[in-house]
Amino acid sequence: MSIATQYFDVHRRMRDQGVIFSFVGYVSEGILFSLGEALKQKMRLEETDANVTKRVFSIFVEQVQNIIRYSAERLQAESGTPTEMSSGLITVGHDATHFFVVCGNIVGRAEGEDLRGRLDELARMDPDTIKSYYREKLREPPEEGSRGASIGLIEIARRSTRPIEFGLTEIDADRAFFCLKAYI
Amino acid sequence: MDRLRLPQTERSPLVDFDFDRQRLRLEGESYPEDAAAFFGPLIAALDRYLERLRAEPPAAPLVVDLRLAYFNSSSAKAFMNIFQRLEAAARDGVKVQVNWHYQTDDETMMEFGEDFREDFQAARFELCVFD
Repeated sequence: MSIATQYFDVHRRMRDQGVIFSFVGYVSEGILFSLGEALKQKMRLEETDANVTKRVFSIFVEQVQNIIRYSAERLQAESGTPTEMSSGLITVGHDATHFFVVCGNIVGRAEGEDLRGRLDELARMDPDTIKSYYREKLREPPEEGSRGASIGLIEIARRSTRPIEFGLTEIDADRAFFCLKAYI
Repeated sequence: MDRLRLPQTERSPLVDFDFDRQRLRLEGESYPEDAAAFFGPLIAALDRYLERLRAEPPAAPLVVDLRLAYFNSSSAKAFMNIFQRLEAAARDGVKVQVNWHYQTDDETMMEFGEDFREDFQAARFELCVFD
């Protein structure tokens, strides 16, 4: 198979799933910004409703910042400057009815279980409960080990128009791949 | 106190804390690379300022204007920190007026304004819609 055939196949399969863009590899804050700009531009060109655009963008930012902050595969400069890069996967698209944002990254087993617990809890809440839970978390001092945004997941749940889909798949004794898909 | 001004960037809001005139402004979008690093100094300056106002409460209110188009959850946490401080100062007798400006049809910013409003009793909080 020629490389053109090979990659056209990848391209077509993505396009058939309604993918606007997909990124696999090391993500940084700079990449978040550029992809976010491209996403906003795409939605502007398609005359997406401004409130929908904001919801998609908000969910996109929270998800990508979660990868940057919590991916178990992280490269950080020795100096501790904010030049971290974290390995992960980002896919944004539009199916027949909804925009979707998918993010995935490797997590430690304990973090994975913690995420599962939080997301199960959010899944049991109706929109009003999510809203008051958000307000409650906003007032609390940040949790130990959290980098100031334990409310990121709640923000995603709040801006989603369908229940969040998520899953974990075991890699080895210590690590798992975590994946989250939000619909707008 | 010296006026604290930061220009608006693609990811951080315009900041204009005009302490002598008792007017504080935040405007734009807020999803800085490191929210704690961005807001930390602002909150520290606000603390020093509110301490001064508590010692000698002025007759005129401290006016805080926020006009934001988008902010991430880390920034929301920082705004809540700022609001908690303003409300505490108002309870101690400092007159505080917070204006939350949002564009007509901006559901997200309207909802945030309504949410934040519930955190104020002693301070006045007003939702200001603009076209």
